[in-house]
Amino acid sequence: MAHKRYAMVIDIRRCIGCHACSVACKAEMAVPLEVNATWLKIVEKGVYPDARRFFLPRTCNNCEDAICARNCPTKATYKRDDGIVAVDQHRCIGCKYCIASCPYDVRYINPLKNIVQKCYFCSHRVDAGLVPACVETCPTRAIVFGDRNDPRSEISQVLAANATNVLKAEMQTGPQVFYISADESTMSNVEEEINYYTEPTLIKLRF
Amino acid sequence: MEHGDINVVYSVEHQLPLVMYIGQYFFFTGLSAGSFVISVIATLLGRKEFKPIGKITAVLAPALLIIAPINLIADLEQPLRFWHLFLYYNWTSPITYGSFLLTAYPVMGIIYAVMVYTNRQTPAKILGILGIPLAVSVHGYTGFILALAKARSLWNTAAMPTIFLVSAMVSGIGLVVIIAAIRWKWFDKDATEEQRAGDKKLILQLAQFMAYTLMLDLFLIFSDILVLLTAHSDAYEAGLLILTGNFAPLFVGVELILGALIPMILVLGPTRKSMTAVVVASILVNIGVYAMRYVMVIGGQTVPLS
Repeated sequence: MAHKRYAMVIDIRRCIGCHACSVACKAEMAVPLEVNATWLKIVEKGVYPDARRFFLPRTCNNCEDAICARNCPTKATYKRDDGIVAVDQHRCIGCKYCIASCPYDVRYINPLKNIVQKCYFCSHRVDAGLVPACVETCPTRAIVFGDRNDPRSEISQVLAANATNVLKAEMQTGPQVFYISADESTMSNVEEEINYYTEPTLIKLRF
Repeated sequence: MEHGDINVVYSVEHQLPLVMYIGQYFFFTGLSAGSFVISVIATLLGRKEFKPIGKITAVLAPALLIIAPINLIADLEQPLRFWHLFLYYNWTSPITYGSFLLTAYPVMGIIYAVMVYTNRQTPAKILGILGIPLAVSVHGYTGFILALAKARSLWNTAAMPTIFLVSAMVSGIGLVVIIAAIRWKWFDKDATEEQRAGDKKLILQLAQFMAYTLMLDLFLIFSDILVLLTAHSDAYEAGLLILTGNFAPLFVGVELILGALIPMILVLGPTRKSMTAVVVASILVNIGVYAMRYVMVIGGQTVPLS
């Protein structure tokens, strides 16, 4: 039998920005204060009364070709057969090179355990046949989780029927968190670029 | 604004992973690699007036490289687990190359220094020739550590390892000039006038070599910045950050003007025969290279990722 390939699809059209995924993650994974494994990025576009908020739930992409696993000097970060990128907390030496290498800023130092942690798609729940805490708690069912290698799974059907995006596809990491209807300026990390060059200034040195 | 405002209301940024311990480590390995190369050049040329410099640098190289990894271990969140690096190595990680290089290089450096001090010319020369690739890779790999962390656009350039090597040469020569000048000033009283004049000439020549290496360094930085400014949006942000943003005082002010232009004028200009000017230039160069490590390590992580 082929290996499982766990992935996540987040339908932004359904997201109401309630932060329930962040709270569920904090509780399930015992994420300490000051750090986050899952969070909601909120961007406001336009000026009142023509304004709207755009949401982007953010978590570890559990990449297909994870740069963190490639750069980890002790193989503490490794890719499981089912695609989840895990961290062996007894092997991690806390060199933080994975945090420096990750293009998505989803890794953090656990200030209580002094090791690097991140989202593992709740691997302990997945191993027990459950879905991750954020998926379970999402009140609008905006997050779909499952095995991408199984064509009959819900996620395979959602992926086949919808146009999806991933964060920073140019990084060649193969993110496994897919977004439906995500806004470009919300996905972008460079705030400067968002202003569409309405005011040319001296520092715009673009050739 | 015409197209309307876009504001990030909420997002999470995690703390900077790599702090100045890493920059300091880069600085010390750079000094070590630079002084080792100078030492080997002195040994290979074998001229009698090069002997003192060859000896000073033969000690400096392993001594600095024993200090350098202390920074690395201090930076670990779990310092007592440092031995995992050797037991659970991962050949796709540049840190794994580093942990083996950082073990081999000081050992070789110490054997080389013993050969130099006991005047065994042939083994010293062979070890020197074998050691140069080791010295180059022990510092070159630090450039790869930054270059292969592909998230950070300021680091992820092919120029990074070369910039690190060249700036290592610059700071290494600077340190050798400072120490050779101290020896010339206070610990060289027994030598004849002729010998002292020869030593002074040698120190001045070393300083000139440093100025020419600085020119190469400046060219590499120039080409790196030019490409950053024309590349994708993250790279453009990083380029602006160090040219006009928060890191401009350190990058333009300390690294380029105080640490490169002024030393070049001091060493190549009308003060080129003055020992004081040359020593001041060497100190400034080392301040500049230290600032460069800071700008690279800390500045590189300042561009937001999410």
